[in-house]
Amino acid sequence: MTVPYCGFRVPYARVQMSFPRQVTRVDQKLGAILLQMARLRRRLNALAIQRVAFRTLAILVLAGALIFAAANWLAPLAFLGVGAALAIAALAAVVATARAGWAMRASAVRAAEIADDRADLKGRLATIVEVAPSGERGELWPYVIEDALAHREEFLPALIERHRIERSVWMPCAALLAAALLVPLARANHPALLAQSDEAPEVTVDLDDLQLRPADPGDNAGVEMQADSATMSRLDAKLAREGARAGAGESSAGILSRARTLASRVQSKLRGEAGAHKRRLTLKLADADGAQASNPRGDDAAARSHHRKHYTAGQFKSEHLGGEEDVPLPPIDKSAHAQHTAQPRGDRPSGPEAPGSGGSENSPDTDSTHEASDQRGDQISNGGASHGIGADPDSLFGAPSNPTMGTEGFEISIEARPMEHGAKGSGQGYLPPKVRTPLSPAQRPDEPIARAAVPAEDRTIIERVFER
Amino acid sequence: MSELAAVETPTVADFARTFRRVQAEIHKVIVGHEQAVEELLCALFAGGHVLIEGVPGTGKTTLVKTLGVALNLSFNRIQFTVDLMPADITGTRVILSGDDGRREFSFAPGPVFCHILLGDEINRATPKTQSALLEAMAELQVTVSGTTYPLRPPYFVMATLNPIEMEGTYPLPEAQLDRFLFKVRLDYPDEEQLVRIISSTTGPDEAGVAAVFSGAEAAARIEALKLLVREVIAAPAMDQYAARIVRATQPEHSRYVGHSPRSMHDEMVNRYVMFGSSPRGAQALIMGAKVRALLDGRANIAREDIEAVAIAALAHRIMLNYAAHSDAIDAAQIVERVVKSARAARG
Repeated sequence: MTVPYCGFRVPYARVQMSFPRQVTRVDQKLGAILLQMARLRRRLNALAIQRVAFRTLAILVLAGALIFAAANWLAPLAFLGVGAALAIAALAAVVATARAGWAMRASAVRAAEIADDRADLKGRLATIVEVAPSGERGELWPYVIEDALAHREEFLPALIERHRIERSVWMPCAALLAAALLVPLARANHPALLAQSDEAPEVTVDLDDLQLRPADPGDNAGVEMQADSATMSRLDAKLAREGARAGAGESSAGILSRARTLASRVQSKLRGEAGAHKRRLTLKLADADGAQASNPRGDDAAARSHHRKHYTAGQFKSEHLGGEEDVPLPPIDKSAHAQHTAQPRGDRPSGPEAPGSGGSENSPDTDSTHEASDQRGDQISNGGASHGIGADPDSLFGAPSNPTMGTEGFEISIEARPMEHGAKGSGQGYLPPKVRTPLSPAQRPDEPIARAAVPAEDRTIIERVFER
Repeated sequence: MSELAAVETPTVADFARTFRRVQAEIHKVIVGHEQAVEELLCALFAGGHVLIEGVPGTGKTTLVKTLGVALNLSFNRIQFTVDLMPADITGTRVILSGDDGRREFSFAPGPVFCHILLGDEINRATPKTQSALLEAMAELQVTVSGTTYPLRPPYFVMATLNPIEMEGTYPLPEAQLDRFLFKVRLDYPDEEQLVRIISSTTGPDEAGVAAVFSGAEAAARIEALKLLVREVIAAPAMDQYAARIVRATQPEHSRYVGHSPRSMHDEMVNRYVMFGSSPRGAQALIMGAKVRALLDGRANIAREDIEAVAIAALAHRIMLNYAAHSDAIDAAQIVERVVKSARAARG
C-alpha cells in the first residue's frame, strides 16, 4: 500500500511494534492508554485528598489539645493570647494544607507527566494525552501510540504510585497520641479542678448584707450564684452601682477586663465547669420572710460551718483563716458598733483600710472585724489591704515575707454580718462566703506589701512606738 | 523537489540507523568532537545551518569535507577574505560567445550553488559579502541582477569562525548569526585524542570515508529524513517550554520584548544580557529536539531533548553586554542558567 508523501507515492510507514493481539486499531490502543492514565489519575487524586484530610485532622486535633491545655494551665489573659494565636496558626495551616492539596491534584496531563517522569518514558504519555483531543495528530501518531503501548507495563498505576494510603497518615495518629497524653495531663494539673474536688456545699447569703469587694474573674473556681429573678436583678443593680462608681471613664483597662471575662468564660467551658461542678451560692431577698426556707440547711450553725469550709477553699480573706478554723467568729459588739458609727471617720485610728471598707456605712461591723483580726497580728495575710496592719508589738517582727501577686485582679467578696437593725434581728453570727465576680473596669489589682527584715537595734524603738 | 528521486519514506528506526552510520563515517577521520559531530548532523537533518567556532587546527574544514563525502553530496568551499566580493559567492552574469558567434549574458553560478557549502573564516569578509549568504541560507535561492536562481535541496551552510585572530575581522551581523540553527564549538583535543590524530594523519594511509548514500538518491534520502523530522510530534507543553526558555533569555526590562513575568527571569540574565534570543531560537530548540527524539527511537519530543540542544541553539543568539565580557561570562553559561531555572520552575 502506498500513500502520498512529500509529493511521492511511497509505502506507508512500516512500523514494527509488538502489542497485544486484542488491541488492533489505533483508537483502541489510544483508549487503552487513556484508561490506564485515568486510573493513575484517580489514584493520585485520592492520595491528594487523603493528604489534605490527614494533615487537616492532625492540625485540628493538635490545636484543640493545645488550646485545652492552655485553658487549664494559663491565666485568662495569657490564655486569650495563646488561644487566639493557636487558633490563627491552625487556621493558616489548614488553609495552606488545602492549597497544597489543590496544587497536588492531578489533571490528565499532570498525571501523564508524573508517569513519564517516574517511568522514564520521555514525554510519551504526556504527548498522547495532550495531542489526543486535537485533530492534528500527524503522520507519526500511530507510531507514538504503539511506542507508548509497548511500554504499557511500565506505567501501571501500581508501579507509578505504589501507595494507596498517603504517607502522612502518621500525622493524625501522632496528633491523637499527643492529645491523649496532653489532655489528661492538663486536667490533672489544673488547680481549680483540684479545688473543686473538695465538697462544695450550698451557701445562703443575705443580699442586703452583701459587701462587694474586687475579685479575680479568672480565679473564681466555679462559683455559681442562684436566686430568684428579683434577687438577681437586685444583685446586678448593686454590682452595676459598684462598677459605675469605680469605673467612671472606662478605658483600656475596661477592655482588658472584658477580655479577661471572656477568656474566663471560654476557659470554664473548655474545662467543662459549666453547671455540675460549680459551687452553688443561693441568694435571697433580705426582707423576705419566707426566704429563710431557701436556705437548704435551714440553720445558721450549718451556714457557719460552710463558711469555715469556704475559708479553706480560699474564698475568704485570709484574716479569717490564720489557722483558726475552730476559733469562734468574733461576737458583734453592739455598743462598739454604735460608738463606731457615731465616731467621725476622721477620728478613727489611722491605718490602712480594706478596699471594701470605704463603703462600709451599711456594714460597720466590717471595720470591727478588721480590727479584731488586726489585733491578732495575722501572719498568713496575703491580701494587700490587710497585710502588715497588725499593731500588736508582740507580733510586729517575724521573718521577712515576699508576698507575690496571687492574681491579677480583684476579689469581690460578699460578706454579710448580722446587724441589730438589719434584716436579721436575731443577731446570730453569720459569715457568708465571698464570691468572686468579674473585675470592674476601673478596678486595679491589690498590691501586697512585703514585710521587711527589721534590724535588731531598731526593734526597741519600733516597739516603743507601737506600745503608745 | 521534483528533481529528487523517489525513495521510500523512512521510519524512525531508519532515521536513527542512517544518522549513526553518517556519524560513524565522520569519526573515521575526525577524532573526538563527538558532541560537535552530533550537533552538526542534528542541524543538517533539522534543515538548518551551522556556525562552527574553533581555534585553528581543530579540524573544522576537515569535518565539513568529511561530511560532504559521507553524504555523497556536492561540496564547495569559500575562503572568506577582506577583498571577497558578493558576486564571488553568488555568481555573476558574464558575456559568453555562442557557437554562432553571438555574445550574450549568461549567469555563471558561484560557489553557493552546491549542497554543502563551507564558508571558512566567515568573519574575515566584509559585512556586505557576509550578507550575500543571507538569502541563500534563509530562502534557498540567489538573486542576481534581478533574476532569482533556486538552490537544490538539501542545502547546508557551514561557516567557521576563528575566535583568536580578531584583528582585521568583521563580527557577523546579528541577522546573519540568527540564521544559523546551531553554533558548534570545536575545542582543542586532549592528549589522548591528539595522539590519535597524529597517528591517523601522518601515516601513509589515510582513513577512507565511505558514502552512506548512493549519488543518485542521496539528496532525496536526506530530504525524506528531514521531512520525517518535521513529522515528530511536539506536544503543546513542549512548545510552551521552548518558548519559556527563549523568553527567559531576555533581560527583564528589555524595551524590545516588553514585560515578562518576574518568575521567568534569572538575575544573571538581567545583569549580563543585552539582548536575548529571537523567535528563531525557539524554532531551533524544537527542531533540534525532534532530531534527538528520533535518535532515541521516539516520535515525540521531551523536555530533555529541548534542554540537550539549548546551548547549541541559543548561545550564539544572545548578545552579552560589557559587564559579561568584564566578568568573563559567556553565552553558554547564561543558557545553562536559564535552562536550570526553567527546569526548576516546572518542578
